[in-house]
Amino acid sequence: MSGVGAMNRRPQAARTLWRLHPALWIFGAFALLAALLQAPRLFQPAIALGEQQQVTTANPKMGVHTRLTDEVEPWKIKRTLEMVREMGAPWIVEYFPWAYVEEQPGVYNWAHSDQVIAHATRQGLTVVARLGYVPGWARPADSSPLYLDEERFPDFARYAAAFAHRYAGQVSHIIVWNEPNLALEWGYTAPDPVKYTAMLREVYPAIKAANPAVQVLAGALAPTLAPPGSPDGYNDLLFLQAMYDAGAAPWFDSLAIHAYGWHFDPDAPADPAVVNFRRSELLRAIMVDNGDEAKPAMITEGGWNDHPRWTRAVRPAQRIRYTLRAYEIAQQEWPWVEAVAFWAFRYPWDQKSYQDYFTMVSTDFEPKPLYLELQRYSRGTP
Amino acid sequence: MNRRRRWLLAAGGLLALVIFLLLQWWWAGDGPLPFLRRDRVWAQIQSTRIWRVGLDPSFPPFEFLNDEGEPTGFDVDLAHAIGRVWEVDVEIVAVGFDSLIDALKAERIDTVLSAYPIDERLTQDILYAQPYFDAGLRLVVRNDSPLAAKLPPGEAVEPERLRGLTIAVEWGSEGDMVARQWLREGAALTVRPFETPADGLAALELDATIDALLVDQVTFRQAEAGGRPVIAAGAWLTSNPYAAIAPKRGNELRNALDQALAELAQTGALQQLEEKWFSADLPENGTPE
Repeated sequence: MSGVGAMNRRPQAARTLWRLHPALWIFGAFALLAALLQAPRLFQPAIALGEQQQVTTANPKMGVHTRLTDEVEPWKIKRTLEMVREMGAPWIVEYFPWAYVEEQPGVYNWAHSDQVIAHATRQGLTVVARLGYVPGWARPADSSPLYLDEERFPDFARYAAAFAHRYAGQVSHIIVWNEPNLALEWGYTAPDPVKYTAMLREVYPAIKAANPAVQVLAGALAPTLAPPGSPDGYNDLLFLQAMYDAGAAPWFDSLAIHAYGWHFDPDAPADPAVVNFRRSELLRAIMVDNGDEAKPAMITEGGWNDHPRWTRAVRPAQRIRYTLRAYEIAQQEWPWVEAVAFWAFRYPWDQKSYQDYFTMVSTDFEPKPLYLELQRYSRGTP
Repeated sequence: MNRRRRWLLAAGGLLALVIFLLLQWWWAGDGPLPFLRRDRVWAQIQSTRIWRVGLDPSFPPFEFLNDEGEPTGFDVDLAHAIGRVWEVDVEIVAVGFDSLIDALKAERIDTVLSAYPIDERLTQDILYAQPYFDAGLRLVVRNDSPLAAKLPPGEAVEPERLRGLTIAVEWGSEGDMVARQWLREGAALTVRPFETPADGLAALELDATIDALLVDQVTFRQAEAGGRPVIAAGAWLTSNPYAAIAPKRGNELRNALDQALAELAQTGALQQLEEKWFSADLPENGTPE
């Protein structure tokens, strides 16, 4: 019986399969087409690192904040860093988001950061790594990726330590968090210098245990005149003093400073009531007042913007003049500043806002006049 | 039974279609059936007879504050001209430039009319009307320059056609960037940077060694309409079109904007507005005399 049944079923099955064939063929063809279309994304061609390069510059403090976090194409990563070197800037600051590397607890994907750091070091650049951006598993549901509970500080410390260990000898400086004095950057909660100091207290020893040579930078405070009690921000000068009051001094090696000039000349005098380039001197004075004069500082963001409509922008010619002068000030007047990394070298894509007018190179790698003037300056050409 | 099932299926299908059409109506007009689209913003303008226009009054001559602190300028007048076509009152709402799109999405305003450059990437979120001004880069020469005849309107400006010439630019500007690119590509010309566009313009007028100036259309139109002896040669080198913006579901509003702008262009009103606002030698926040 079963034999006869099988014989009867076979032609039926064959007919069904035959009827399905055209659909299967079409489906298969679409699947193949989709795979072919995706192939370039799945298999990014490897880009050779090339020969070891050195930066030649008349001002060894020149630096830029690159923006390679969301740059997926390897050749663009390489080209960006080549252009930084060719401009004559030996320093870069780059962001390495925790959420991108450790999507699952304890499972690290270093592919992108490996690529960025390998190309940067091959170009002879000194990498300052900015760490932050919390993965979903390390924060409450529906919270901002810039929010971190105090009980999760050890998780962040483990990531920072793993990073410091992996890139020992390649990354010399690590910045802990970014602009913790802004509610926006502190997970839309009130900025809290005591809580930030607790973060440093947790992260600093972990990094040092993993790589004693790396320099840990704290602060990276946003220059702001926010009044006391403002829900948006905490005055950077007051925040730094509050950090010292909370006992932050032993938990950082250098202070990261954000030095935006807005529409002021870089020689405009420092004034607590004004956000300008020389506000850096006020932060430095707080370091000195708190017995930290032996520690260096580093400008890890800053600069001028020449958007035609932004109220804090300057004319393009002023931007060139001010930027050149700012590098000069750091070189000639501020021995306590290790490097000046201005925001931002290039974006992976146009922001279509005033932000595009902070860059030195367009998204398609066309150098802006500022880039060429800085290149001329770094080469000592009058 | 089979027949009954077929009837049930047909009834279910019909019901699904009705629900789909109702959703289309409720969703206020972004579905695939244009005849059912209903633009709530346009309907509101029609019912209240008030059109809320958002702009950032910090960009003369398009929009700025006059001595009384009131928004004025090309876009303000343009809004009122459109309002007259539609027979509605115009309410100008001052919003920071970087917040204009958010204000539109949050329905604080009905339209952005603020010398706003078109960004193709935003077309998922907003609707652009036809551009009413292109602020891109121009090659500007003296009225009597042979270049004007050599490069008639619309003719592409190629660097090889500028061989041996001296081009003024605003130092660090887009014009400077383009000129430097030409130089890198081997163009045989000389580039002279100036601190401001006004300095470059003055040099073009007074210094016979300067053959041309690379500036944006706004600067050129101000100079031209202000009676300066200059003319634009050839086509735009770059395009930077300004357009009014309607909300994503404001398809009727966008169409009405297009129609009104076309009407204003046809009657010459748009040209008159340009003459008015680009002829004035505006102080930083001044009003034309």
